[in-house]
Amino acid sequence: MRVVIAEDQALLREGIVALLREHDVDVVAQAEDGPGLLRIIAGHKPDLAIVDVRLPPTFTDEGVRASIEARSRHPGVGILILSQYVEPVYTAELLATGEGGIGYLLKERAGDVPAFLDAVRRVAAGGTALDREVVAELVHTRSADSDRALDPLSPREREVLGLMAEGRTNAGIARAMVVTHGGVEKHISNIFSKLDLPAGDDDHRRVLAVLAFLRATGSA
Amino acid sequence: MHADDLHAPIPQGVAGAPAGPALERVAPRVGWGAAMALETAVSALLAFAATLVWALTGSGYFWPMWVWLGLALPLAMQAAVRRALREPAGRRRGLAVHGAVAAVMASLEVLVWLMSGLGYFWPIWPVLGFSVALATHAWVVLRLAPGGREEELVERVDVLTRTRRGALDVQAAELRRIERDLHDGAQARLVALSMHLGRAEERLSDNPEAADLVRQARGEASAAIAELRDLSRGISPPVLADRGLAAAVEALGRRAAIPVTVDVELDRRPLPVIETAAYFVVAEALTNVAKHAGGAAARVAVRMHADDLVVQVADDGPGGADPAGGGLSGLRHRVEALDGELAVASPAGRGTTIRAELPCVS
Repeated sequence: MRVVIAEDQALLREGIVALLREHDVDVVAQAEDGPGLLRIIAGHKPDLAIVDVRLPPTFTDEGVRASIEARSRHPGVGILILSQYVEPVYTAELLATGEGGIGYLLKERAGDVPAFLDAVRRVAAGGTALDREVVAELVHTRSADSDRALDPLSPREREVLGLMAEGRTNAGIARAMVVTHGGVEKHISNIFSKLDLPAGDDDHRRVLAVLAFLRATGSA
Repeated sequence: MHADDLHAPIPQGVAGAPAGPALERVAPRVGWGAAMALETAVSALLAFAATLVWALTGSGYFWPMWVWLGLALPLAMQAAVRRALREPAGRRRGLAVHGAVAAVMASLEVLVWLMSGLGYFWPIWPVLGFSVALATHAWVVLRLAPGGREEELVERVDVLTRTRRGALDVQAAELRRIERDLHDGAQARLVALSMHLGRAEERLSDNPEAADLVRQARGEASAAIAELRDLSRGISPPVLADRGLAAAVEALGRRAAIPVTVDVELDRRPLPVIETAAYFVVAEALTNVAKHAGGAAARVAVRMHADDLVVQVADDGPGGADPAGGGLSGLRHRVEALDGELAVASPAGRGTTIRAELPCVS
């Protein structure tokens, strides 16, 4: 797996690079600002770009805007945003750039190395990884009328869908909800059929389900 | 005189000390009152002397009264002008001085008429002239131009408005700087710490106890990061600086614990200080709705009305909010500091509406 990183704070950039290299992730290039990110993506054609939201020159949401630009030029590249704050509006904008290959995590999640590496691999492979804080903000707030698409789902199934949006595996969902693996699979197949998702590759259906979830919660 | 002499201490208690620069400095400090007293005394003495001369030269026509008049005139003039100068500086002071001089001159004319044996009352003409001049002056000062005092106040209000606005702008910029410093400083270091701890934890797989300690340390670091994040958001929410009021208010609506519909229409970005105030009005109002309106939905609307940014948050809760309550009065202070107005309508049983109007032209 080939990865590029855009992060202006050397301390954090070096930390992430060291962590990834220890686990045989190939960090092929690094950038410190938005234009630099676009250059290294064009030059190295990586599987994944790990991007900080706040980058020079503007120090606002430069990272998000550069990522959206990168996705329109190179649709295949996965984008994993690492930020010190969660903003569902940024998540929504990124998800609108195409199906899957999008992640948005708080930076400190990198401290949980196995989970972080899992998220990196998943997003590089076209999956999603949303921080539980992003998902929490999306889930608990919506008014009745914007929730209609998810109406057929039971509360339990919605919970499963929220955990899927975070990017958890079936085993992870089972652990979080204290149910058996088989229970989770049953919930998931119910979700797929209630949301009318076409049969086929399970990973793809997962992404579609998460997108349906985000759309229903007014974020994508 | 050498420049240093100006700062030399005044010699004290040195009898017979040579009169140096220090003494020269002290000398002119004779007060106006003392000068007047001296002048009055000298005048009285001269008047007495003149009267004495008149008495000694065999009386006759009482000419010393003209000496008296001559001596009294400067004294009266000085006293009257001095009194007029007590008015604060400005046009009104000018008018007062004019009035004082005119009054003294008129009195003089009348006295001269009295002393010269009455007859045709000729002083009517000069007195009439003084009156017309004074009346015209008074009319100009009081009617046409704002009075000196008012002019001064207008200027003062101007200066205060400008400096208060400046202070608020500086404060808003300062808060954004603090947020950025936290982001790039303490928060970033804690994140780096958290990553290092994570890597250490991995290497301790053969020592579960140590690994557990490191995991706990990482948990503490994460909690500290989360607290700093909440603090930062309370100081200056990043999305407000990044994307402006519309996005920030939408994020607030999404984050609220109640259903919120958000309707923002802005054709331009207000100044940061106005944006921040509007943001915190919405944030506080939504917190209040979540706390007191029993789960009722809220509607947020933000619009430009002429040159005012109008922010309105309404709910269908039970109403009866106390406009003097802590949160609302804090908001009122914030809005009023920007010359805005905050209105709270909360009739019992008919919901609560909070409306803030923030002028966007300074």
